Amino acid sequence: MKPEVSIEGLVYRYRGQQKPALDGVDLEVAEGEFVVVMGPSGAGKSTLCVSLNGLIPHFFRGKMEGEVRVGGRSTREGRVGEFAQEVGLVFQDFEAQLFSTNVALEVAFGPENFAVEREEMVRRVESVLGQVRLEGFENRTPATLSGGQKQRLAIASVLAIEPRILCLDEPTTDLDPIGKLGIFEIAEDLKDRDDVTLIVVEHETEETLDADRIIVLREGQIVTDRPAREVLRDVELLQESSVMPLQVTRFFHEMGLWQGQLPLTPEEGVVEFRRRGWRMSPERHKALVEADAKREEGYGEPVIEVEGLTHRYPNGVVALEGVDLSVRRGEFLAVLGQNGSGKTTLVKHFNGLLKPTEGTVLVGGEDTTKQGLRQLGQTVGYVFQNPDHQIFSDTVFDEVAFGPKIRDMDEGEIKERVEEALAAVSLDGRGDEDPFGLTKGERQRVAVASVLAVRPEVLILDEPTTGLDYAEQRSMMDLVRRLNEAGSTIIAVTHTMWVVAEYAHRAVVFRGGKVALQGTVREVFAQEDDLREASLRPPHIVSFGNALGYPVLSVEEMLKVTEEA
Amino acid sequence: MDPSLYLDRDTFVHRLDPRTKMFLLLGMFALPFVFLDPLYELGVLALVLFFGYLARSLANLGRIWFILLAILVITTILWSIVGSGRTPLFLFVEREALLYGFSTALRIIITVIAGMIFLSTTRNEEVAIGLVRLGIPYRFAFAVSTALRLVPTIVTTGLTIGQAQRSRGLDLDSGNIIQRIRNHLPLLVPVFVTTVRSTNVFSMALESKGFGAGSRRTFFLHTAMGRRDVLVIVAFAALLAGCIALRLAGYGGLEGFTR
Repeated sequence: MKPEVSIEGLVYRYRGQQKPALDGVDLEVAEGEFVVVMGPSGAGKSTLCVSLNGLIPHFFRGKMEGEVRVGGRSTREGRVGEFAQEVGLVFQDFEAQLFSTNVALEVAFGPENFAVEREEMVRRVESVLGQVRLEGFENRTPATLSGGQKQRLAIASVLAIEPRILCLDEPTTDLDPIGKLGIFEIAEDLKDRDDVTLIVVEHETEETLDADRIIVLREGQIVTDRPAREVLRDVELLQESSVMPLQVTRFFHEMGLWQGQLPLTPEEGVVEFRRRGWRMSPERHKALVEADAKREEGYGEPVIEVEGLTHRYPNGVVALEGVDLSVRRGEFLAVLGQNGSGKTTLVKHFNGLLKPTEGTVLVGGEDTTKQGLRQLGQTVGYVFQNPDHQIFSDTVFDEVAFGPKIRDMDEGEIKERVEEALAAVSLDGRGDEDPFGLTKGERQRVAVASVLAVRPEVLILDEPTTGLDYAEQRSMMDLVRRLNEAGSTIIAVTHTMWVVAEYAHRAVVFRGGKVALQGTVREVFAQEDDLREASLRPPHIVSFGNALGYPVLSVEEMLKVTEEA
Repeated sequence: MDPSLYLDRDTFVHRLDPRTKMFLLLGMFALPFVFLDPLYELGVLALVLFFGYLARSLANLGRIWFILLAILVITTILWSIVGSGRTPLFLFVEREALLYGFSTALRIIITVIAGMIFLSTTRNEEVAIGLVRLGIPYRFAFAVSTALRLVPTIVTTGLTIGQAQRSRGLDLDSGNIIQRIRNHLPLLVPVFVTTVRSTNVFSMALESKGFGAGSRRTFFLHTAMGRRDVLVIVAFAALLAGCIALRLAGYGGLEGFTR
């Protein structure tokens, strides 16, 4: 059979870059296959995507060697527009690729370009909106959709061109769990169709189980290209490639099982665990719970106290309703819930960006309405999700010095604080660099440092791990943990469940503007059914532990409590 | 919050062909400049508000009333001081200057409201189709409608960035003029960087959806000049001509105003 996509010796170097983004890639994808591409940031995954429809070499300026053939035709030979009919490309940034005033027009844009007749367009719009489960949304403005719906719309707008190959570049990175699920369901449906070839770049290992093949890219080269379940069992290879291995698989790997025997899912794991006659030691588990309790005793007095907080936006939407919450000094609190559940609205009350409609918020014992934003900023530092929304200086040093400077500190003090903050985020000695030349992970660190330089007691982090690869996520969260151990109170708003499990102490779950669950992370994650109602799902290792009797939060804890027969 | 002005309603005005709406917009820009007498200007204002009422688009006034009020107050005061007339009113302000200022303010307000009604009743895509039907190349028409779309996008980005910078202690309103402009730097740079970045993704997405793939293109939105459009255009043209005739006949002017 002739391959749908065939890539031979592809080398691509962006203009002005020393290192090639892709460095000798050979790849064939057959019709109807579902291929997942994984690998660390900067490995060339996105470059591979844009080389499929001719954006490389036609849109980007750079040097291309080798050959990319789609349906037998070299991408050098035609314009992007011509290949668009065969390869549909969906980008990670769904906000930037939607531009129409309603959903139907957005979907119709592609067919319009190919001069599809109106009746056929109407049929396609209806059909693809059904495929992405957006029926009835035809007249909605894209701006009013949730993140998950927007990304589904972006997929629909490409499907309407009826391409034979669909390539999704990290489609779920910016989505909440329920949004992610929606995308995976679409992928599932498409996978069952023989006439659509699916190529997906994905970070979430738990979601790649259904793929036919997994390709791991590293520094522009393919390091592995094998059936999905084989790659997923290769724990060491994944770790070396900054890809998070499946937790249950890693557990059995650490227990010394031979690679071919490794279970992948919690269900498979439970079967294997029981078959071997292993058990979870109640005593050792009790020690974990006691350690939780002991940590809790170490907290100081409350630094943030929320009482009966209700927030109504000017358009009448009630985002929070009767919330009571207290955060003590030294805590590490995770705020969970799907988008629109009120998480961000809540934390914006802590630094004074929002004022309560009803109820009170005390920070450091004083009402936030009586403190200015700048004074509150002294106690509560807020790191926004996208570092590019705050970086504006020419050098890293100036960026971090912004907070201290506007608080009129003297030169010596500023220098000391900037150096201290840069050291805390492991960017010491890089003060002279241009922040825009850094990687996303490093820019994230600059953003954290710029908040740390003010020495706030409480640090709010909004989605601190979004858009980072596994290794970067780990190093970011290890940094946050060090800050916490050094005395900072941490409040993290996040969708990344394993991060909550391994790093946070306490969790509060929001649903429809109200607190649905709160307690230690262990207590909260033990209640899987309640979590599911809030559209959340604990990580594999937690489900695995729950199924075997006790909630554990990490592979390390599971190893600790397991007794071999 | 949806930063775009368009209101998806099914009214007589919404259903007009985009070309008709463009004609009305231009006409509404011209009409207030025919007269100088504030009384006549108030008549034109009433007309434009009536249109807004028909289009059920006056709700958007709530979003721009502050700007309108500022225009009214500042323009009236400025012309009262700068201009001169022959009937002293109080201090050094003359009646004619005050009336002229009021008229000028109304002229600006009318054009702003007319623009608002146009954007409230016309989709970006309709603007593009309208231009194409007038013989303008699609690429250019698309660029115009994209520019219209970019404004609300930049406003939203700006709001987010404003929050991020205020959280860091940024105070926009302190110091002298130069200082204040410099205060905005932390807003402008990220807005610029973010916009350029997303524009880049936007243009890749356009190419990937076959923008400009072939010379022919179809449109999903159905537009056609109907009898209603012709009627509206003729009626409005007659009104405009009538007003000009009225003015030439000596009505609606303002006697005794000098700069």
